[in-house]
Amino acid sequence: MSVVTDSPVHSSGSDDFAAYLNEALDENSSSSSSDEEAEGKNEFEDVSRNKRRKFESTEETEGSTSEGIVKHELVFAESSVKVDVCTHPGSFGDMCICCGQKLDEESGVTFGYIHKGLRLHDEEISRLRNTDMKKFLYSKKLYLVLDLDHTLLNTTILSHLSPEESHLRNETDSLEDVSQGSLFKLEHMNMMTKLRPFVRTFLKEASEMFEMYIYTMGDRPYALEMAKLLDPQGKYFNAKVISRDDGTQKHQKGLDIVFGQESAVLILDDTEHAWMNHKSNLILMERYHFFASSCRQFGFNCKSLAETKSDENEIDGALAKILEVLKQIHSTFFDKLEGDLVDRDVRQVLSSLRGEILSECVIIFSRINHDALPTLQRVAQKMGATCLTELDPTVTHVVATDAGTEKSRWAVREKKFLVHPRWIEAANYFWQKQPEENFGLKKTTNNS
Amino acid sequence: MFFHIVLERNMQLHPRYFGRNLRENLVSKLMKDVEGTCSGRHGFVVAVTGIENIGKGIIRDGTGFVTFPVKYQCVVFRPFKGEILEAVVTMVNKMGFFAEAGPVQIFVSNHLIPDDMEFQSGDMPNYTTSDGSVKIQKDSEVRLKIIGTRVDATEIFCIGTIKDDFLGVINDPTTV
Ligand SMILES: [Mg+2]
Ligand SMILES: [Zn+2]
Repeated sequence: MSVVTDSPVHSSGSDDFAAYLNEALDENSSSSSSDEEAEGKNEFEDVSRNKRRKFESTEETEGSTSEGIVKHELVFAESSVKVDVCTHPGSFGDMCICCGQKLDEESGVTFGYIHKGLRLHDEEISRLRNTDMKKFLYSKKLYLVLDLDHTLLNTTILSHLSPEESHLRNETDSLEDVSQGSLFKLEHMNMMTKLRPFVRTFLKEASEMFEMYIYTMGDRPYALEMAKLLDPQGKYFNAKVISRDDGTQKHQKGLDIVFGQESAVLILDDTEHAWMNHKSNLILMERYHFFASSCRQFGFNCKSLAETKSDENEIDGALAKILEVLKQIHSTFFDKLEGDLVDRDVRQVLSSLRGEILSECVIIFSRINHDALPTLQRVAQKMGATCLTELDPTVTHVVATDAGTEKSRWAVREKKFLVHPRWIEAANYFWQKQPEENFGLKKTTNNS
Repeated sequence: MFFHIVLERNMQLHPRYFGRNLRENLVSKLMKDVEGTCSGRHGFVVAVTGIENIGKGIIRDGTGFVTFPVKYQCVVFRPFKGEILEAVVTMVNKMGFFAEAGPVQIFVSNHLIPDDMEFQSGDMPNYTTSDGSVKIQKDSEVRLKIIGTRVDATEIFCIGTIKDDFLGVINDPTTV
């Protein structure tokens, strides 16, 4: 190969330097550089040696100035680092991150959310996950993975705004300084986004207890745009915004691309089935529906918050409640659990705290829809409730949708609590037994 | 390394550009076409600095387009294995850090960061020596050695190391 047609005519007065450049350009554009060197050596060394040898041969034929030699030595000052045979733990731009060698096969997990072209092998991922874990835990931090839609915010396509919501078009906040606003029109994406009340306080306080990730089923441009609204200074989510473009499994979210040990990760998401393999890390969020299109998408026919010009409560809304739960989990993990920090498991804390919510309740269900019953039972049991199928004096709560059923009437007679199934759902979302009187049943005249 | 070299390119020009300003049109199209592009051989074309020679145009049948062979001088930038580069850190994390030197994106993995530098997470993730005297974080300037390069159509990727004498931070942004 030759570069005669593009020879660097103006770069240097000395012929040998021009010759050297030709050598170097050739050297680097052809990947097969070391042919006669012994195998098993670090490629980098081989190439450099090869280069030096070639350079010397040009010296012999063309002679050289001392200046040429000095330049050469400076640039190719031999590395004294001896690298053992490299395991190629990962790649960047298809080159090994350890030895720089070009790697042919595309293998390992892509970490596009950190930098495109970065791939790591499983062993390297678990090595990174385990190193510094002790130090990380001693700094009293855990990991928190946050969903976007319906958890931290609600987004609608502009054209899906209902007529009653059109007033919002004139009420959006400036994109100049997003840290003050909560309603944004993103013209270039044809979207409008409403941040959930309390979200800024939530992120600020949570960041003191957790290293935080965003993990959304939206695509990367959307995810990054939302991250900018939530974290304009890039303090919380820098290079920790994971989108569906990054996942390793379709329609599933996984902790395999998060650099935290699973025993130290909490997840906040409104969609349980996205986390099939990590349910024990999950704190299920009550969905935030600000826009009518979002309500419709989930089959609600009620007016949206935007249509009624209202919103979730800032002080005791879902995020404020969950922040309290997170604080409790955090302090239990670090201050109450015994044993070495590294051996503790936040999933245990989660399930034992959950198990206390309804621990003194003995529940019996009355004429609950067959589809809904198993889930309700499972949720109640996870919160520590005892579920019975036969009436019994120990029963404390009858859960029904109809006050006229036999068990409902028994509850009233025996002065037991008679509550709607939403009482269980609310306890599940707020991690607290809810006042029964807020979930009472309307009296029906229909006696069966 | 930067090089000042002469390259050649066949430029296709639409007939509407012919006339008095033909040469200017050719040059401005050339700049638009080549500046900021990369080739595996020469690296990144930083700027066109002059025209050596414009050959005779050949008219294409049917379209009226004319192809001119243009010889031009330009400054190119191309990193080499073994080269020492100064770069600005753009991102620091558990895996190592990313840095940029003009169009070149460099990754220095934590395998190639000296063992006495430890990763610290937080608002401003960084690698710091145990005595706290040296810190690498976003916007730090570092001197590193290239151990691998790959040149794409528009980007140059490099693997770098700072695990050697005289490599590492040359300018700490927090002390300025
Ligand atoms: Mg969601
Ligand atoms: Zn390697």
